[in-house]
Amino acid sequence: MNDEARREVAIFTQALKVAIEERAAFLDNACGGDENLRHKVEALLKAHDRVGDFLEDPPGGPSIP
Amino acid sequence: MKQVEQLCDVMTEPGEPSFVNFENISGVPKVDDLCSASPEAVTMSDATVMLAAIKAGDSKAAEELLVIVYDELRRLAASKLAREAPGQTLQATALVHEAWLRLVGDKNPSFNDREHFFRASAEAMRRILIDRARRKHTRRHGGEYQRVDFAGFDLAAPAPMADDQLLAVDEALDKFAVEHPVQAELVKLRYFAGLTNEEVSKVLGISISTAKNYWNFSRAWLLNEIESE
Repeated sequence: MNDEARREVAIFTQALKVAIEERAAFLDNACGGDENLRHKVEALLKAHDRVGDFLEDPPGGPSIP
Repeated sequence: MKQVEQLCDVMTEPGEPSFVNFENISGVPKVDDLCSASPEAVTMSDATVMLAAIKAGDSKAAEELLVIVYDELRRLAASKLAREAPGQTLQATALVHEAWLRLVGDKNPSFNDREHFFRASAEAMRRILIDRARRKHTRRHGGEYQRVDFAGFDLAAPAPMADDQLLAVDEALDKFAVEHPVQAELVKLRYFAGLTNEEVSKVLGISISTAKNYWNFSRAWLLNEIESE
């Protein structure tokens, strides 16, 4: 994992702990003007909002009834 | 893979995904004797040899372990599914733990061995499930469930949506692995091999809370990737 990838994970993880109304300010600060990084993390946070139980069930389906 | 009927019968209890019981199904003769007489004594030593070779730094050993684990998982899956009614499906967690017991055993389980074994299992399960999904994808002709028979591997197919999602996840996972190899490995271990957060954290050498954070990140990343396709 390179530095940018590591930052992406760290900022995403931190951002989830920040109240929604404070996230924009948090991202401004954490991404430090790196628009590309900020754009990526924002997209991930939006995806997280609708992630539901995506991948939580094993691909083979439910266990044997 | 030959007659799966000869193989040991393996069933799992619902709600106990990491537990495997040997059970006699009604109408099926007890096959414990067959289990001990079957040729997996050879396979067991093969797997153990490969694990030792990996420890000794043999770079080819990991690939050879993968082949052994792949064959064993396919064999277990076939034996298990041959006994089930249509509509029922594989349970990766049970298969992987069962394969561990059969190939390595718990006599002398070094922590490192488990780690390598789980990694090989995750990749093997991924290949098995993707192969299955691809084949069904091309053969599908209506109906929510159907039985597909290939190379003696008779599987009850899950709903078509699950296959489409599986193939999409697999494709996205390759991209993910380029940028985030550790997290991609985590997804393989959890999603394809059915390991728990705790097991995953041990295999990857990270804390459980980091494993949970990576899992959140990975799901968001993969969903975003799949939806933007």
